[in-house]
This record gives sequence, C-alpha cells and structure tokens, in this order.
Amino acid sequence: MNPDVTNKSFIFNEKIDVQCINDLYGNDYIYLEEVFGTVLGEYGTLVENIFQQYASHNIPGLKAAVHKIKPIFGFVGLLSMQHQCQQFEDNCQPSSPFDMLVNNYNALRHNLIASKLLIEEEKRKLELFNSQ
Amino acid sequence: MKISCIIVEDLQVAANYLMKCCEKSGQVESKGHFVNVPDALYFLNENTVDLIFLDVEMPGASGFELLDQIAFSPKVILTTSKKDYAYNAFQYNVSDYLMKPFTYQRFLESLQKIKPSQETISTRSGSDHIYIKADGKLVRLNNDSILYIESMGDYVKFVTTDNKKYITHNTIKNLEEKVSKHHFLKVHRSFIVNLHKIDDMRENILYIKGNEIPVSKANKADVFKRLNIV
Repeated sequence: MNPDVTNKSFIFNEKIDVQCINDLYGNDYIYLEEVFGTVLGEYGTLVENIFQQYASHNIPGLKAAVHKIKPIFGFVGLLSMQHQCQQFEDNCQPSSPFDMLVNNYNALRHNLIASKLLIEEEKRKLELFNSQ
Repeated sequence: MKISCIIVEDLQVAANYLMKCCEKSGQVESKGHFVNVPDALYFLNENTVDLIFLDVEMPGASGFELLDQIAFSPKVILTTSKKDYAYNAFQYNVSDYLMKPFTYQRFLESLQKIKPSQETISTRSGSDHIYIKADGKLVRLNNDSILYIESMGDYVKFVTTDNKKYITHNTIKNLEEKVSKHHFLKVHRSFIVNLHKIDDMRENILYIKGNEIPVSKANKADVFKRLNIV
C-alpha cells in the first residue's frame, strides 16, 4: 500500500506470487505482516467449516465454505491455492455423486493444512524482517 | 466532500484492506464495517450513506437481500470472488464490482464510476420536469403531471394525470436519484409516487386517482415523515 517503503531483500517462499504481493501492497512489509496476521486469525475457522461441511456430505455447504476461504489466498499471494479452490468449487455440483469429490477434497485438505504452515512461516519471516 | 460508506464484509482481511484503500484515497469515509446483513440493516435504518461496499455471499442473508430491504438507494460496489453476479448486479443497478483481492488502482477506478452520476443527481433533482425516451422520441413530463412511476422489470411505466402511460427502459432505483426529491418518494421497491397527488392512505396502500399503490414495510416510516400529517 505504501510504495515509498523500499526494501528489496525480503525473499518470499517460492509458492508466493511476488508480483501479486507487489501489486497489492507495494513494498509495505509492515502492512503485509499485518495482512498475514489477519489471515491467520481467521484461517482456522474457515478451514474448520470446510472440514465440517465435508464430514456432513453437504455439497452446497462445502462449495460455499471453499468459496469463502478462496480470496484469502489472493491476499497472501498464494494464487495456486486460490485456483485450486476455484476448481474444487466448480466440481461441487449438487447433482454429482459425493464420492466423485473425495480425491480432489483430499488434495485440497492437504494443501489447506500445508498453506497454513507456509503463511505462519512467512509471517514469522516478516516479523523478523520488519524488526531489523 | 467525502463519500460516506459502509463496508459489509465477513472476511476480516478483505474488510481491513478496503478500509485502508478508503483511508488512502482521502475520498471515502467509512462509517462502519458490518460482518452480516442484519447488523448492516440495523445501522441503515437509522443512518444513510452514499456508498455500500457489499460482499454478496455471507452467512445468513446475502448482500442482495440487504439491498431489497433498505429504504434509500445508495451507490453499491460489490466486493466478491465470484464473476457470475452480472445479472443481479444489473437488476440492482450496482455501480461496479471488485474481485477480491483487487489493487488500489482498481479501487480508484471503481470510485470514478460512482462520481459522475453523483454530480448528475444534484444538478437534476431540483428540476421541475424530466425528459424520458418513449415512442422513439424525448417526451417532456412536468413533475406535476406525473402521478406515479411503476417498475416493469427492465422498464418503468410513468402514469400521468391525463391518464397516459409512458413505458421506458429504466429502473426505479435509477429514477429515484434523478427525479425531484421535493415531489417524489419511493414507497416500494416497484413504485415511486408523486407526494402531491396522494388522495388517501389506508393500511399499507396509497390511493392516487383510483390507483392502489403498495407501501413497503421498509419505506413506511419515510412515507409518514413526508406526508403533511397534522
């Protein structure tokens, strides 16, 4: 958000789209740290909702839950996750047999858990970076 | 003067980002952030704003349900992560929609879209007449000659004192901002009436020269405020 703050030495995880981060926040790493913190603050609830909807075989609910978390990944530059959420949403048709979703869901679940760890790690790196 | 707005958004990171964009622009003042439709509606029953940044898919009621229930017509910018709201956006006269996450530059472009029409409102709303496109020509209608305006989907019908009916491509929402506030009031999602032509009111029905016009629950308080009740 603040293009005047310049420091180009921060190295993001390779899964994060740096261009996306620059487009959204410029070099404002203080705000970026805040964004990662906010995302982590609501991540657990959003993911838990996905798990619950899946457990109850509620396809419309599952679709809505994945839809809800999707933009979060855009805010932290995880565009591949955003894309995966969109694909999963597209597969969530009420007329489709639930079993058809199992493989995609397992892959999504795995990446949701891995993404949280990644966001946590980036947040830690940003904290350190901003404190120097 | 700054544009007053509220943000209706249940994703905290998106709401914070939007607030930061508003602040940075220096053009928009946020009057509040609401995470669901009932809370926003409660606020809007007591307050008006120029603009609503509105998420569509929220727990409980959707953003469009909020627009159904408010008694005035602010500008609306949808903030969504879904592209397929075009039809509803058109129906509700939405000014723009921002796909989350959007850049600050895109946010500014969106603000530009609401500015010209705001200027238009102020210059037109004091006029004693309007022109409408009907029957392949521009027809002048004096405010005093209009009884009421009724929505017909993508069209509206103007009913006049000489019992003529003019059908034109427009929406109640758009017209509400363009007609004289002194003469006209939206009393229902589908009706704007000329306040000077009301004969009587019984329960939730206004009578204008034998025509029955429903008054919605959301608009009833406004109607009472504007009628010269002694």
